[in-house]
Amino acid sequence: MQLVLSWPIRLFVVGVLVFSLFVDGAGYVYRIANHYPLTGNVAGLPPNFGGWQLYFHRGLDLAGGTHIDYQLTNFPAGQNRADVQQRTIAVINKRVNSLGVSEPEIRGAGSSNDRITVDLAGVNAAQAQKTIGAVSKLVYTKWVPDSKVTNGPEAGYKPALTGLTGDDISSATATIDSTGTSWVVNIQFTSAGATKFDNLTRENVNACPGDTTTSLTANCAQRHLAIWLDMTQADIDHWDDASYVAKVASPYDAACLASQTPNTVCGKLLTDPITREEIAGGQAQISGSFTQQSANDLATGINSGSLPVDLVALDVTQVSATLGAESVKLSLAAGLLGLAIVVLFMIIYYRVPGLLASLALLFYAGAVLAVFKVLPVTLTLAGITGFILSVGMAVDANVLIFERFKEEVRAGRTITAAVDAAVRRAWPAIRDSNTSTFITCVILGFIGPSAVKGFAITLGIGVAASLISSIIVTHNLLAIVLTAGGFRRPALLGVDRVRSV
Amino acid sequence: MSEVSDVRAEEQGADIAPDGGAAAQPNAGAAAQPVPEPHVRRLNIIGRRNLFFALSLIIIIPGIVSMATRHFALGIDFAGGTEITASFANHPSLAEVQRAVDAENLNGTVIETSGGSYIVRYPPLNAAQVTGVQNDLQSRLGSTNVQQILVVGATIAGETILLSLLAVVAAAVAILALLAWRFHNVPGGWRAGFQFGGSALLALLHDVFILTGVFSILGKVFDLRIGEIDAFFVTAVLTVVGFSVHDTIVVFDRIRENLRVSQRLSFEQIVNLSIMQTAARSIITSFTVVLVLAAIFISGGETLRGLSLALLIGIISGTYSSIFNAAPLLVVWRRLQPLR
Repeated sequence: MQLVLSWPIRLFVVGVLVFSLFVDGAGYVYRIANHYPLTGNVAGLPPNFGGWQLYFHRGLDLAGGTHIDYQLTNFPAGQNRADVQQRTIAVINKRVNSLGVSEPEIRGAGSSNDRITVDLAGVNAAQAQKTIGAVSKLVYTKWVPDSKVTNGPEAGYKPALTGLTGDDISSATATIDSTGTSWVVNIQFTSAGATKFDNLTRENVNACPGDTTTSLTANCAQRHLAIWLDMTQADIDHWDDASYVAKVASPYDAACLASQTPNTVCGKLLTDPITREEIAGGQAQISGSFTQQSANDLATGINSGSLPVDLVALDVTQVSATLGAESVKLSLAAGLLGLAIVVLFMIIYYRVPGLLASLALLFYAGAVLAVFKVLPVTLTLAGITGFILSVGMAVDANVLIFERFKEEVRAGRTITAAVDAAVRRAWPAIRDSNTSTFITCVILGFIGPSAVKGFAITLGIGVAASLISSIIVTHNLLAIVLTAGGFRRPALLGVDRVRSV
Repeated sequence: MSEVSDVRAEEQGADIAPDGGAAAQPNAGAAAQPVPEPHVRRLNIIGRRNLFFALSLIIIIPGIVSMATRHFALGIDFAGGTEITASFANHPSLAEVQRAVDAENLNGTVIETSGGSYIVRYPPLNAAQVTGVQNDLQSRLGSTNVQQILVVGATIAGETILLSLLAVVAAAVAILALLAWRFHNVPGGWRAGFQFGGSALLALLHDVFILTGVFSILGKVFDLRIGEIDAFFVTAVLTVVGFSVHDTIVVFDRIRENLRVSQRLSFEQIVNLSIMQTAARSIITSFTVVLVLAAIFISGGETLRGLSLALLIGIISGTYSSIFNAAPLLVVWRRLQPLR
């Protein structure tokens, strides 16, 4: 007990208090000092400490948005499933970026890397599924002579599938080239893709050899490799239809592709660069008169085309922002009401100790909310419920101590001795009961269904913090305040009589 | 944390004096003045244990019958399907909404919520169908404000049920193990530890059966939507398990302490004394939590209402079981399997 009442521990408590007040309240101080409204978005908030932002991360049920669990099927044979999952996540990320979602959350899940969970704030389910699930396959084509073709990128030639597809590309990035002046797109092929690409570029160069920058004859159609999204053999079979070619060979139209039906014809061309030389080693660079924007667009197009698996939505949740805001308001009201009731009850029933316990409870609530911001914990409706319930658990430890305190005073101990004995004897029960709840939380956090996990996390954090708050904070407050003589009157302590020293 | 062995038997004696028989004279040197027992709390709970067991069974048995014959009303988390919650600017009646939904021929059913919006349930639909249904409702019923859409496929629904059961079983086993370990230092060693753990586990199952039974009755016998069970309900069951074990541990901890300091009392007397000493705390704690839950139930809105009702039932049951079932069960167990 001496340890709990020692100065280092008290300093620690004060430190935690100051830190929590800062984390919880700094934003409001900033708003008031700068005459900003207390709610809503404000310039400079949330504060940014080297990429670390302090604010409540709201789950989709509170912020509004869409949650989808995808099952990945048709894994490409012979590839590491974890890698495929990561690549799929990267592609979904790129596609989602086009929706302008703030903080999209796309996580891998599933025991055999066969699930992906997507959380998108402020997007409705239809829009999200269309964007993510758009099955655009990237294909490379070479050009073969066909006298019936009159238009398109290469008049007199029609495309032919090469077998080189998005599956063979590991990444495409827009970057500044080595001279530092112009934008290029670098493509990195997988090892299988590198071989195919090497063969294709060799064929290209052999079709009309020479230096493409100096020799006119070197610049023939067969020396080009076109990149398309969703190009199919059916499209190629239509290549002698000039109006069809005009549509298909226009720049790729993501929105059209996402909602295409068998009858619509969308633009599918990404680019049709010339091959300067045979490229071995799996690294290609597309250069041209790119701006930063157009280079990025091309890289995104190449990446978004290579979804390596099929996605099946297992479950979809869409919550409107108004319903989310309503839930926040209601749970906040319930939490505050609950806290007020508990504080009132404790003060009426236990008098001065009850007041001290209420202070400890406020300390506890402030510290836990700060932890939620710092970690950060994503708060959901179930999570807030877990937090409110942990307040109940925090009260429980105090009630155990106070009931014991009354008993000890009744048994004739002095106040100081009674406080000490009460905390000491209530400890085993507090420890064991909180341990059992904590174990339950850990189990739920690991194997519970996803809706339950948020609840387990906040309740678990709350239980751990309540242990500290009740044993250290309440005990210290009791020890400090009750040594002052004025508080030793039985009426203030909620006991029948107090033994004088 | 130091040990509790410095509690003198005499102090306990002051508490048990009114029980007669085992009265102990307070040591005049230790307590300056003899302190009279301020409240006479002498309920003989152990003696009337069969009455309390019967009271529990009166609620549990109909619940078990309902669970066995009628099962549960499953929420969308467990049943799978599509659920669209929407409100309409024109405020159509339930019958009008039902007509519009029937016209879609997708086997949709409509429920009216207390907030004036409607919940329409379908079998699992794909993305295009969900969009179609929304457009259809809009064209039939006018301006529609879609608050929430849930689509749960059979895979996820099955997994949720499995994970929920797994979580409840794992939590129960972990609590049994923890209690057996924590209480194996009472006289009687590990066997006694398992008597403590086992009794707590039975009290915990009591609460789980009361809660699930009542919800089965609410959902299937009375056909109330609040009786539907979903992932939130699992949350409630596990919280109740935690609270119930809290209460039980407090009683058992007191029994452990009293066993150590009081050699003269019989096991039954010690258990009864411990219940009396801790009942105030159990009731007060539960009372505060009940107040908080009542606040959530009244003001927390549709989503939290089912959860808070489940917690209310479970926590009241948990307090009852820890006072009137857990410790009496320990006495019964000790009689069937004496340790000394």
